[in-house]
Amino acid sequence: MRIKTKRIVSAAVIVLLVVMTAAGCGKKPSESGFVPKLNTSSDVSVTVYGNYSNFEALESEFERFNEFYPNVNMSYIYLDGYGDAIANSLKSKEAPDIYFTFYWMWGDKNYNEVFDSAVDLAAKETGIDFSCVRESIIRKTADGKVQMAPVLATSFGMLVNMDLFKKEGLKVPATWSELEDVCRKFKAAGYASPLMGYVSSGSSSFEYNFAYPFLCNSAVKNPSMRDSFNSLDPKAGELMRPGLEKIKLLADSGFIDAGKCVKEIENNYNAAIMRFYEGDVPMLVCSGDVASGTKKRESQSESFSASPFEYRFYAVPYDEKGGFVIDTVSINFSVNKNSPNKDMATEFMRFLISAKELGNMASVKRLITTAKDFSLDNIYSSLNETPQERMICSTEANINDNAVKQFRYAAHHVLMGEMTVDEAIAAFGSLTK
Amino acid sequence: MKRGLTIIVNIVVIAFIIFFTAKYTSQKREESNDSELAVFKNTAETAGQIIMNYLADEQHLCDIWASYINHYASVAGYPMTIEEAVEFTRRASISDDVQAHIIYYDDASFKGLSSEPSLNSDEDFTVSYKGYSLFADFSEARLGHEIKQTAAFANPQNGILSMAFLNILELKAETGGTRKALLMRIIPISELSRKLVYLKGEYEEMDLAIIDSAGNYMIHGSQLKNSNLFEYYKSYNKTDYQSQREFEEQVTGESGLNEMTGSKGQTCVIAHTPVTPDRDWFLINIIPKAGLLPSVIDWVLLGVTVGALAALLIFNMSAMMVFNRRLVVTAEEAERANDAKSRFLSMMSHDIRTPMNAITGFNEMISRESRDPDILRYSEGIRMADNTLLSLINDILDFSKLEAGKLEIIPVEYDLVSILNDLVNMIQVRTEEKNLALKINIDADIPRKLYGDELRLKQCAINLLSNAVKYTAEGTVTFTVGYEPCEDNEHQILLKFRVDDTGSGIKQEDIDKLFIAFKRLEEKKNRNIEGSGLGLSITQSLLSIMGSSLEVESEYGKGSTFSFAVRQDVRGTDKVGEYEEAFRNAMESKGRYKRSFTAPHAKVLVVDDTPLNLSVFTGLLKATKVNIDTAGSGREALNLCARNLYDVIFLDHMMPDMDGIETLHALKVLKDNKNVETPVVCLTANAISGMREMFISEGFTDYLTKPIDFVRLEQMLLKYIPAGKIAVDYIEQRDDSATLPDEVFTIPELDVNSGLSHCGDAESYLNTLRMYSEASEKNEKEIRDFWNLRDIRNLTIKLHALKSTSRVIGAFDVGELAAELEKAGRLGKLGILGDELERLLHAYKELSSKLSPIFAPVRSDEGLAPISKEELYEAYDKLLKACAEYDYDTVVNVIDELSHRRIPDGEETRMDAIRTASDDFDYDVIPDIIRAGRKD
Repeated sequence: MRIKTKRIVSAAVIVLLVVMTAAGCGKKPSESGFVPKLNTSSDVSVTVYGNYSNFEALESEFERFNEFYPNVNMSYIYLDGYGDAIANSLKSKEAPDIYFTFYWMWGDKNYNEVFDSAVDLAAKETGIDFSCVRESIIRKTADGKVQMAPVLATSFGMLVNMDLFKKEGLKVPATWSELEDVCRKFKAAGYASPLMGYVSSGSSSFEYNFAYPFLCNSAVKNPSMRDSFNSLDPKAGELMRPGLEKIKLLADSGFIDAGKCVKEIENNYNAAIMRFYEGDVPMLVCSGDVASGTKKRESQSESFSASPFEYRFYAVPYDEKGGFVIDTVSINFSVNKNSPNKDMATEFMRFLISAKELGNMASVKRLITTAKDFSLDNIYSSLNETPQERMICSTEANINDNAVKQFRYAAHHVLMGEMTVDEAIAAFGSLTK
Repeated sequence: MKRGLTIIVNIVVIAFIIFFTAKYTSQKREESNDSELAVFKNTAETAGQIIMNYLADEQHLCDIWASYINHYASVAGYPMTIEEAVEFTRRASISDDVQAHIIYYDDASFKGLSSEPSLNSDEDFTVSYKGYSLFADFSEARLGHEIKQTAAFANPQNGILSMAFLNILELKAETGGTRKALLMRIIPISELSRKLVYLKGEYEEMDLAIIDSAGNYMIHGSQLKNSNLFEYYKSYNKTDYQSQREFEEQVTGESGLNEMTGSKGQTCVIAHTPVTPDRDWFLINIIPKAGLLPSVIDWVLLGVTVGALAALLIFNMSAMMVFNRRLVVTAEEAERANDAKSRFLSMMSHDIRTPMNAITGFNEMISRESRDPDILRYSEGIRMADNTLLSLINDILDFSKLEAGKLEIIPVEYDLVSILNDLVNMIQVRTEEKNLALKINIDADIPRKLYGDELRLKQCAINLLSNAVKYTAEGTVTFTVGYEPCEDNEHQILLKFRVDDTGSGIKQEDIDKLFIAFKRLEEKKNRNIEGSGLGLSITQSLLSIMGSSLEVESEYGKGSTFSFAVRQDVRGTDKVGEYEEAFRNAMESKGRYKRSFTAPHAKVLVVDDTPLNLSVFTGLLKATKVNIDTAGSGREALNLCARNLYDVIFLDHMMPDMDGIETLHALKVLKDNKNVETPVVCLTANAISGMREMFISEGFTDYLTKPIDFVRLEQMLLKYIPAGKIAVDYIEQRDDSATLPDEVFTIPELDVNSGLSHCGDAESYLNTLRMYSEASEKNEKEIRDFWNLRDIRNLTIKLHALKSTSRVIGAFDVGELAAELEKAGRLGKLGILGDELERLLHAYKELSSKLSPIFAPVRSDEGLAPISKEELYEAYDKLLKACAEYDYDTVVNVIDELSHRRIPDGEETRMDAIRTASDDFDYDVIPDIIRAGRKD
């Protein structure tokens, strides 16, 4: 009897151990669709170079990747002077395995080497399936190569302080006239600048974020003029008119106090967000990249911590039909084909290019996913309601970086009252900062 | 100890050892951890010093270059051009990894020349930091520090992550003037990392960073997230303003250790130390705490300990199993020995009781039938010896039952007075034998009808009383019975018994030994005192079963007090009342044996292999006139049963050839059995525990132990003989009443049958009537006196006595009237007493006056020839004459003649006096006697 009992107990313990061990093993692969192709015990280092001072969303993906390849040392390195240095970095003995690439690099001969160093991620041997990514935002070479994989998308619009609207009994404007009406009422209620943003001639400025959708819309409607515009043909300056006129209108109406913005918002990211968190800015015009930094900074703002409020990201109204949502890419990843760790870097890209991981990274970064199935973050929920015809992919507009710079200068000069709209259009191609 | 308990104790001990080991190793580990942390901190400080030296060296080299270039102007008379300066650095540099960039900052262009060409082109030495944030907030004033180094940046010439040491140059402008430029001595970050590579060997999971005083990383490893350590801390740790400030101040203060939660939720240890003399850069060494300080529990040690203890447990259990097996064998042996003891007890019981049955039975018959006082005295002696012997056997059997746990408490409704009577009767005899005084204190208010185990209660009290008498040589035995109500149950009382004696007493140290079975204290001294040594042990056990315990107080040499109290249910409202009176009445009513019934038509079969027992049985039932058939064996009994129908069959258990059980079984299946429904009672001398259950299960109707208690025997017959065949005892009463004087039946106030019933028989009844009559005059006077004095208390007592005695003799009218007045007396209702007392006394006197003639003295000359008064007076005259003539012979002759004659009423006294004087030769007084009161 005793022996029997002992046998039963021993058997039970063994079964329990086996069950627990089995439960502990192999759980991850069954939950995820990713199946490692390489030796999972590989002990290599993969370095990603980029211009984000920190990139926690990517680091969380490193950790998830390490669940399959626990010995792979993934690291992200911020490279000051990224645009100037990345080409040389790729040639150096400390070249990255994966590196950021941007739309603005595309077509710029200064960055030809950057793309020359990139692996064709669409090649069959990589095993990467791009079917989950929105086709329109994937840049391909003429021969169909994909040298940069879009991993985070963004857009342009405005952060809206919902509580202020409630307080003043106003609705978030969906049309241009509603925007004007709202601004008037805020002005009347004592808000010096109902619209604010980082006023500058640089990228991610108020001017650019506000007017770029207008420019894209014009470019899509008038491709031939867009080509002239890209060639900096002065005659093509007219493409800028709709956006510039709206900026002029805002400035003249006092709906934006440019001087106040210059004084109170020192940069297009941290300062802009912190100013918005002061709680007295009804609308902050910015990019999705700025919106992505909001969550983390909530706790850093004493004002917001003391008096939190609800906020959301909206497209800026363009006409009586609403605004345009620009679907553009914030970051692409390229794999250095000269890297000794190219295989593992490509394997990481294969892991990352999936609806789940792209969505996960976008969620952490609070940006828009590049996957087709984009379940937007709550603050972007209004964009989800945008009709398809009002969605413009930046690749469709296809305006090059030099032309964009001219547009930014023009917009800035108009806003600051340094040029009229006509003067700015006339000076297109020769505008300076 | 039960096995489960043993295992639990073992497990508890093992758990304690494991806990202790874990705790101890944990404590040791913590001490070791403190040491580890100190080493980690020292290592960080060492690394900090290395970095500090390295930075200082590199800065120094940068400063030398700048000094040389700037000093050139004072030697050559003009400053170096940028090309010359770059060329100088190219020549001065001894390491291929070190580059020099000289860039103009006076026009905020941050463009210039590099000592090495761009990777784009071997010819291209131009360099630009335009797109870098490195110099976004550059100002010359901010380079006032001794060490002027940059954060990590990508070297524009080769894209390698680098840092630069700075100094200011004054160069010759192309236009002829001078220009302000920055000298950058650039080294790859990997160079700096190489200086600390030994740390990685030391701490595999450690990561490094250098931060500035605002927490911004100058360089940092992959574990350190964000762009700023302080922001990283804020992101993953619960902070408030104060705690955040404290963390920042600590990290940018003196060398030290800190803790924070890392991005993976793990606790990390941070060692921080300044790496610049101005404390504007700090080395951060961060490592997961679990990596630095492995688990605080030494699992190997713990595992080995647990394993060893488990092995020990198994070993212990195995050893215990072996011991248990041996114990089982020993226990089985003990059990066999115990069985042997039980068998011995059973046999002893049987073997002693069998002859005792004959002794007791025949002695009973002797006491019934003999009138010879000597023989009756011998019989009483036998009875007492018999009782003692039986008591010893019963003690041993009770002890056996208690040991086996088979002694049960059987509660019944009982009359407390009856128990007290038995107890007092028993102890009174014994105290009288030893010339001891007996005091009885019974609380009159104790409820009379109780519910409990009457027999066991009596047994406990008897044991205490017997002991008191046994161990008291002279003095007093006091028996006290009281009670108190139970607060938690109004239907129960706590019945309290207490026995005090003035005996030898018990030494304090011996009190605990009182309850040890077979133990007798001071055996030498008490060797003449009979007893088994079981009495108190049994009493204590019985009381324990009844939820009580025996209390003992004793003073050696002065006496002892034993007491106990048991809960009993109360049935009815009657009280015990004045016990002494009730006892006296009971004793008065107790007479010699009288049969309780006759059943001349009943037929009983008794089967026993011992002829003596058959003789005892038939003798005991002779008076009942029951027809008794006897059988000497089972087979004979079966034959009788086939022929005759019996009302009850008494069947002995132990018989040769076919015992009682076998006979019963055979009887059940007997063909032509006429006694299928007849109750069969087992007669047995086996009185040990469990026997009753055994007999009933075998099919017997009942069970009677030997020696046969004739009262129980008669009760059993009354129970099993059909009621129609029982002639109840009124026949006997009538018989008794036939011996009563006719005058008794003529008194209407008396219910003679009730009186006979109360008193037992005619003789006792007549005695009681006589006492009632004789006391009447005195009682009447006392009652009247108490009333006149308004002494109501004593009056009530007297009325109570009158009530009881009147009821006993069957004078119910007087009794009821007395009861009413007693009640009035208790309640203090003087009015009723005043109204009714005379009526009672009148009725009492009336009854007494009717009784007194019945008990008038019987004359001695009854039956002689009467003499008339005339003849008597003539005889007196002859006597007077003879006395005057001193003719005393004549005097004697006359008196002798008169002695043969019946003297007329009224002259008996005179005649007796004359006779007495003659007998005393006192002839002179005879004339006076004759003349005195003579009326003629």
